[in-house]
Amino acid sequence: MSRFSTGVLTAAVAAMVAVAPALADKKTNSIRFAYDQVVENVDPYMNNVRIGVIIGQQVWDTLIYRDPKTSEYKGQLATAWKWLDDKTLELDLRKGVKFHNGAEFTADDVVYTLNFVVSPDSKVVTRQNVAWIDRAEKIDAYKVRIICKEPFPAAIEYLAGPVVIHPHEYYAKVGPQGMNEKPVGSGPYRISEHSVGKFVRMERNPDYFKDSPKPQPKIEKVEIRFIPDRQTQVAEMMAGGADMIMNVALDQATQMKAVPTLQVVSGETMRIAFLHLDTREATTAPPLRDLKVRQAIMHAIDRESMVKQIVGQGARVLNTLCFPPQFGCSDEGAPRYSYDPAKAKALLAEAGFKDGFDIDLYAYRERNQTEAMIGYLRAVGIRANLRFMQYAAMREANRAGKAAMLHQTWGSFSVNDVSASTPVYYKFGPDDVSRDPEVRDFLQRGDSQVDPAVRKEAYRKALALIAERAYSLPLYSLTTYYVANKDLAFIAYPDEIPRFWEMSYK
Amino acid sequence: MTDVAAIPVLDLTTASSGALLRRRIMAHRGLLIGTGLLTLIILVALLAPLLAPHDPYAQDLSRRMIPPIWYEKGNWAHLLGTDNLGRDYLSRVLYGAQISLLIGVSVMVISGLIGTALGLAAGFFGGRVDMIVTFFITVRLALPLILVALAVVATVGGSLWVVILVLGLLKWDRFAVVMRAATQQVRVLDYVAAAEAAGASTLRVIVGEVLPNLLPQLVVVATVEAASAILLEAALSFLGLGVQPPLPSWGLMIAEAKTYMFFSFWLIAIPGTALAVLVFAVNMVGDGIRDVSAPGGRG
Repeated sequence: MSRFSTGVLTAAVAAMVAVAPALADKKTNSIRFAYDQVVENVDPYMNNVRIGVIIGQQVWDTLIYRDPKTSEYKGQLATAWKWLDDKTLELDLRKGVKFHNGAEFTADDVVYTLNFVVSPDSKVVTRQNVAWIDRAEKIDAYKVRIICKEPFPAAIEYLAGPVVIHPHEYYAKVGPQGMNEKPVGSGPYRISEHSVGKFVRMERNPDYFKDSPKPQPKIEKVEIRFIPDRQTQVAEMMAGGADMIMNVALDQATQMKAVPTLQVVSGETMRIAFLHLDTREATTAPPLRDLKVRQAIMHAIDRESMVKQIVGQGARVLNTLCFPPQFGCSDEGAPRYSYDPAKAKALLAEAGFKDGFDIDLYAYRERNQTEAMIGYLRAVGIRANLRFMQYAAMREANRAGKAAMLHQTWGSFSVNDVSASTPVYYKFGPDDVSRDPEVRDFLQRGDSQVDPAVRKEAYRKALALIAERAYSLPLYSLTTYYVANKDLAFIAYPDEIPRFWEMSYK
Repeated sequence: MTDVAAIPVLDLTTASSGALLRRRIMAHRGLLIGTGLLTLIILVALLAPLLAPHDPYAQDLSRRMIPPIWYEKGNWAHLLGTDNLGRDYLSRVLYGAQISLLIGVSVMVISGLIGTALGLAAGFFGGRVDMIVTFFITVRLALPLILVALAVVATVGGSLWVVILVLGLLKWDRFAVVMRAATQQVRVLDYVAAAEAAGASTLRVIVGEVLPNLLPQLVVVATVEAASAILLEAALSFLGLGVQPPLPSWGLMIAEAKTYMFFSFWLIAIPGTALAVLVFAVNMVGDGIRDVSAPGGRG
């Protein structure tokens, strides 16, 4: 950095520190967290944005807990569980757990929540998370059985992830909409105020059960503010108006390392980025129906350079549509699409698009990466135009068949199993815009078989087929950069969930 | 804006009217500076393909964020450095002039045609026509321009031509207001009555007698509107709803550089300066024309 810009930076920081009152929230033992995407509904079943998962883990509990350090499963709302047969899981529930509204946790809560979310009218956003459940049955007040539709070996992983438990009386009364306005869970934090689209204020749950695998929270209050503008977030951090932000772009993170009041922490995440292509008959971009065009797109983008220059440390180039450490993820037998603009042009010419074509590229985060891809696509003649929007708008446009090319990312709800990633996009769900029955059948086999070797083989075949037919271009895993108050002690986990209950000030 | 005292008293007996005008122009410093700058920018825009050292769309991720030449880490290959995707900043700024000018001129033409036609008709015919046009003007003035533009662009999607059309169809109000008032004044003058008495058709009277006498006002409004259209495009692009990447619009460049404001100041300063200079030049020209053509400016 030149002397001039260091000067500007120092002046800017000085000016901000001067105007901002000393808000360092070490004193009040609270964390102010800023995030750019707005959550449509904080009920964890009713959104599929990362901030929704983050809030879900603070406010609600799951039956089982996966220790992020050891990956070991521990009892949370359940104390013990066993498979009675391929499809039936029996769980013993914990006694003495209370919801934030004072209601006692019992088998009724589990049964009501699960039976509600699996019913089609519940309109759960990511059906994949619960579609494996057929029903839940109460055995006694503290014992339930979950019956799967088909053998579903990844069940434990889901019960330790997105499947949270709601208080049954309250949920029956207010529904997901009421849950959004006045959320009630049993987790380490309870929501004291939710101003939709503006902020979520949480405070420590003083009655949080002592035996939980989530340790008792130390931080008194957490405020999550939705600040869509990245630069405002950066300014807030530098001025001491926020204590933590995440998903900071590589450039800003590198530059913010120079600010003495901040720390920058990075790590690879489970989130994968990919170009999602609508190849259905009614697609708004007919060229995408041609395999050669899709292959051309793959050869046009220099993923290696992107990872090195703008994605960040720890990220890796992907060849298949899953996060490599996930169970069942493999790129064996999948073709490798190297960066080869000449080949891309040749493929386009073969497909009859010698002069290229125009297409809209939809995106919702990491805009600089989208723009880099636009640059690469234009270099081979594909004139891509950026359509940048909020996630929910992009998702709906894609599901409705209006957006044919998306710069998508998927964090698998932090579930460490391929069933949480690939099938979401290729098993004829609402996000499947290719509808290939062969791929679906392999995925179905992988999701429902018990033998791990059979599962792996089925997933491998599905992933190889998707890559071969170039339905989507797997890009890379993402790195996340956290910028935080330098006194805040926290760990950056690959599942992208800041665990406020573990954090404390030094 | 002009310094009336600085304009020398002219010897009206010897100078022809053309020479008089020329002298007034030469004595108007603002007009000269504005015209100079504007000519320069127009030349830059026209000659961008020749002047630009690189393709403004060619990205090279390994050469990104190079600072301009006056920084220690500057590089002669990229006089103004490169942006976050390694595209040459000078080339993008040069090509950006094309877009700003294209928008300024096209919006001015579209809105000028609509506004002038409406204003002329209202002022010339009066009565019911005037009532209807005034109604339309009132309606248009009641619409918050930027909000309507944002809403329309958000629904149909942003692109260069959408922005031009939307702004062109929205910005005719000032043309209409000014033309209407000016026509009402000219309408009652003797030469209009004379033309009518001589049997000239209505169209001929409007185009041949009224319009030429309104040109100075028209030019002034046109320049003001062009400058304002350029700024509006920048505002729309800044909000992400105007011209879409990777087109090198100055407004868009400012919006994208916003992320780097604290640390790579030049990224926002360079297109910002270019935009300010262009708007300044257009406004100076408009002001100057008003001064030299209006009676108050005639020494």
